[in-house]
Amino acid sequence: MSSPITNEGMVGPTSDRKLLREEAAIAQKYMGRFPWEIVAWGLGNIVLWLSLWPLAFTGILPLWAAFLISTVSIALCYLPSHDAQHSTIAAEGSKLRWVNELVGHVSLIPLVMPYRIAWIQHRQHHANANDPELDPDYGYHGDNWRQAVWNGIKYRQFGTQAGLPKALERSDDPDLERAVAEGSVLNLVYYVVLTSCAWSGYALEAALIWWLPRHLGSAWLTTFLAWAPHYPYKETGRYRDTRAWKSPVGTILSMGMEYHIIHHLFPRIPLFHTAPAYWEMRELLEERGCRNDRPDRRGAR
Amino acid sequence: MPIITKLGSLGPLLFGVGFIAPLIAQSMDAASVSAPLGLSNIAFGLAVGVTMGVIAWRRGSWV
Repeated sequence: MSSPITNEGMVGPTSDRKLLREEAAIAQKYMGRFPWEIVAWGLGNIVLWLSLWPLAFTGILPLWAAFLISTVSIALCYLPSHDAQHSTIAAEGSKLRWVNELVGHVSLIPLVMPYRIAWIQHRQHHANANDPELDPDYGYHGDNWRQAVWNGIKYRQFGTQAGLPKALERSDDPDLERAVAEGSVLNLVYYVVLTSCAWSGYALEAALIWWLPRHLGSAWLTTFLAWAPHYPYKETGRYRDTRAWKSPVGTILSMGMEYHIIHHLFPRIPLFHTAPAYWEMRELLEERGCRNDRPDRRGAR
Repeated sequence: MPIITKLGSLGPLLFGVGFIAPLIAQSMDAASVSAPLGLSNIAFGLAVGVTMGVIAWRRGSWV
């Protein structure tokens, strides 16, 4: 495999410092506020998903409706935890840190993804984005979204040796052992819930509220969070490994990932602020030679 | 944790018996479909679930 292209040396050192100061000044404006929207999203979404179980089991909600709601809910459950992983809700040592950790842990339960493991994996993605060997999200690459979805399905299989297992092998995180233990327990709970429901006569309910929505939600999530912003996975470097892009399904359905470039540049900017930060920073990003596949507000590139 | 690790290594087999088998049987019940060869729906579900589990276990993948 050929070496990925980087953008080193695109601007001189003086210009580089000046641009960095200007970028940081804009970014600073969007950091620090308590992102109540993401907290409400994370906690509200887990309450909604949990409520589907009694509602469907008692017949108050038809199973087809529970399936649709659950699929959307699971597709939405990663991003609140993603903000928590970057401590955008509350920094370590602050009074509201417990809110950050609560959102981080509970919002990921439907995905059967332990918070600490997600953070270990995600940190390696940021440090090595688009590196075929070191980026744990590289397995979601593809020449088009269909290929990316299929690659993602293969990448998430239990026997895969790439991605997460490699990320855990490389990790020197002091919480690694605890993270793996939490992962094992969460997976065990998932299988116990599914099999208990199934052998009690509720196999269809378990399949349509958790098992199938989890697979569909994961596919939606990885297509928009991993594949689209990093496509075509050819370049590395701070200003080239992620792009700004225009989603064919709009900003809401793509969960704000059109502005993912801002997240890679300044991970402490909460998700809800990445769009305004992008529009304010857009000219600086162009000057940097960032990958900008998004037309401006008048439709021009 | 060793017991969880041990169970994890048998994951596809347990999933085939524990979840896929009753899921197939209850899906057939819901669709009013009978199993072939005079088998009960749950016996048919177990046959398919175990087979799928063994194949996945050997291949390291469900797909």
